[in-house]
Amino acid sequence: MLSASLYIIICSARNRIRVRLRRLREPRYLIGAIVGAAYIYFSFFARFRATGRSARRRPRTSDFPESMAALFALLPQLSGVALLVVAAAAWVTPVDSGLLEFSDPELQFLFPAPVSRRQLLIHRMLRSQLGILFGALVIGAVSPSTLGVSRLRLSIGAWLLMVTGKIYFTGVTLARARLGAAGARTRRVAWLPLGVLLLALAVVAGAIAGEWQKAPPTGPMEGLLLIGRASQSPAAYIVLLPFVALAQPLFSDWPLPYLMALGWALVVMCGIGAWVLLSDEAFQEAASDVAERRSQEPATKKGEPSYRVRSDGWPLAPLGRPEMAFAWKAAMQTLRMVDRSTLTRTAIILFFLTIASATMGRANGLASMLAAFSFAGTGFAIVIAPQVLRIDMRQDLRHLDLLKTWPIKASTLVRGELIWPGVIITAAAWAMLTIATLLSATMLTNVSVGWRIGGGAALAILAPAMVFSQLTIHNAVALVFPAWVPLGNQRPRGLDAMGQRLIMLGGTWLLLTISLIPGAIAGGIIWLALQRFIGTGAALVPAALVCSAIVGLEVLLATEAIGPAYERLDALAVERPE
Amino acid sequence: MALSVEHFGRTYAAATGTFTAVADLSFTVAAGEIVGLIGPNGAGKTTTLRSLAGILRPTSGRVRIDGHDIIEDPLEAKRRLAFMPDEPHLFEYLTVTEHLHLIARLYGVPDVDARAAALVEELELKGKERSLPGELSRGMRQKVVIACGLVRDATTLLFDEPLTGLDPIGIRRMRHTIVTRARGGAAILLSSHLLHLVEEVCSRVIIMDRGQKVADGTFAELASRADLATAGSSLEQIFLRVTGHDTAGSAS
Repeated sequence: MLSASLYIIICSARNRIRVRLRRLREPRYLIGAIVGAAYIYFSFFARFRATGRSARRRPRTSDFPESMAALFALLPQLSGVALLVVAAAAWVTPVDSGLLEFSDPELQFLFPAPVSRRQLLIHRMLRSQLGILFGALVIGAVSPSTLGVSRLRLSIGAWLLMVTGKIYFTGVTLARARLGAAGARTRRVAWLPLGVLLLALAVVAGAIAGEWQKAPPTGPMEGLLLIGRASQSPAAYIVLLPFVALAQPLFSDWPLPYLMALGWALVVMCGIGAWVLLSDEAFQEAASDVAERRSQEPATKKGEPSYRVRSDGWPLAPLGRPEMAFAWKAAMQTLRMVDRSTLTRTAIILFFLTIASATMGRANGLASMLAAFSFAGTGFAIVIAPQVLRIDMRQDLRHLDLLKTWPIKASTLVRGELIWPGVIITAAAWAMLTIATLLSATMLTNVSVGWRIGGGAALAILAPAMVFSQLTIHNAVALVFPAWVPLGNQRPRGLDAMGQRLIMLGGTWLLLTISLIPGAIAGGIIWLALQRFIGTGAALVPAALVCSAIVGLEVLLATEAIGPAYERLDALAVERPE
Repeated sequence: MALSVEHFGRTYAAATGTFTAVADLSFTVAAGEIVGLIGPNGAGKTTTLRSLAGILRPTSGRVRIDGHDIIEDPLEAKRRLAFMPDEPHLFEYLTVTEHLHLIARLYGVPDVDARAAALVEELELKGKERSLPGELSRGMRQKVVIACGLVRDATTLLFDEPLTGLDPIGIRRMRHTIVTRARGGAAILLSSHLLHLVEEVCSRVIIMDRGQKVADGTFAELASRADLATAGSSLEQIFLRVTGHDTAGSAS
């Protein structure tokens, strides 16, 4: 089986490289590859060279703050604590290593083959190595080191850590499925690692609590130093040994300390590997579950969201404007993708993030932290969300075969595709902005109430215009350059694909800037004309209204102008997955 | 003519230059007529059907649906057309009923509930109305695609391998459905590799090979053609002869 696994891995890698090299014959991929390579060079290597030169000119760490030096010394211990927390969290959060996610060909060819389940697991582990190796090399490449050998050492350490993590998460998935098993022995075996982990967590938490009682920290830095000190107490030191051993190669000096650390990390990895491979029976069940699940979900592809009908939803009226039918379609998609538990999880995460940030910066108070958080959220909703939320033509290019047969005007189709994402992003931006404006006094202490309220109202007026104009640009680009747009949830890989994404991002931002210029000029003139009479803050509102109206008009004209591009659009122009 | 194709051609850009998938294809389908479109793999059948449906742009020639050109007057042409592809293409997040309601809304079908109920019954989709495509078998998804095509009164129906994935009962029902729609006045173009189905339901057949039309006529006309006379009267024998695969016939 090992030779078969290696054959599959080598052939797949070789063919993938061939495909990527062959596609460089097309100008769009070649341009993408050049831009991607230039980005990598200027972002990392050129920067590091510059950093290295300046570092050589500077005297070394003589003036380094004492607390920072102490923190660096504690990094292995702190990493060990972080790994312990992640290891424990894996039992409660639905983190999956993906090792049990067999592809369709694997299910079709390997499951009926005379291959044991353990061999299948080894095959999956080997299969995942290329991705992990690449990730580890990237970590080494982006490390701010000037020496190639140190980067290689860091890559090896990162590889060991990532492989161990992958195997561990698989073990957790297998064990978690058996926590409620019928047999008492099976149950005990499944609970044992969790019990050990909880014990370790309790020991470390106890040590931290002890240190906290002695001297509570006054800031984040002190908090980290406290955790580091606590992790060196005898009991915590012992329970953290395997976790620290895994992280140690990232921080050890060459040669002897590094090689020793590598050896211990390998021992930990082998131990976890043995634990997973000994869960053969559980793997049999889990693998069968995967096969069963996949056979019941014939249309679900890897990486695609799963949809579930939860209620009758929102019925579509039989008559009305076709645009609203597209908005309804997108709404159904959202409602069937986002369930109550997802919303609850998101709310809990947001709640704890807010509390944590408020606690860390408690000098500023909870209200100011909430205000800052809401401002950031508003900015994210207006600027980033239209790029991220792709429930529009960018996703529907996959269904072009269907859309092209419908008797719908292109402008109607594009407007219909924009409505739902535009509405939900605007609603989210307004909600965050309302909180931010209400609490703005706690953060913007030097800004007058008129400016705060006027600015908030102006931003609220501008938000839909900016959101819809970005969505229009993204959808227009999808129709004019469909081959450059990744379909649905697929994420094309490779340097050329990365370059293509950068070009698209740059082009979109440029178009957005150009589209905002007329509105900004008109709004600016209105503000200058009115600010003397109604005040500088209040004048922002009519200025925003004029700017929004101009941008809105541009959006309408753009959706009409896209029509010929859609009519010319050929289904074969759309990029297909690799 | 409900469907009229004149000198239709379609070429693709390929790594080695351009590849002609279909060249100079002309034919018509009258109201109430069922025409079979057959040919070996790669003959250009699916390219033809996708171009007639407005998915691919013809490189040359004209396609008219009830007199409306698919390029110059696409909305009116598409309003009269229903295309049922071989690969069921559905929105993975809409249920069976919701697909029918969406199509009805876009095509302006007034009595969608009654039509949807009748189609669900006719195509044996009962009990699956609230299912998502991911929960359906391939045959069931194919039926949903066909139901979406039939929920409106299209004058021209294009079927690409309509029986793929269907069970024997489904195949029988589908045959009945196709014939019933033709009797109702629809022009039907049906592409299939199942020659017995074509022989059974079609009144005329077009045979394509390597992008070219190599035969067009009723079975009687094809069987009486001088170059096909020795091949016998079955569609399979005619097909093998015109596509050059009837080695026994060629030898004789």
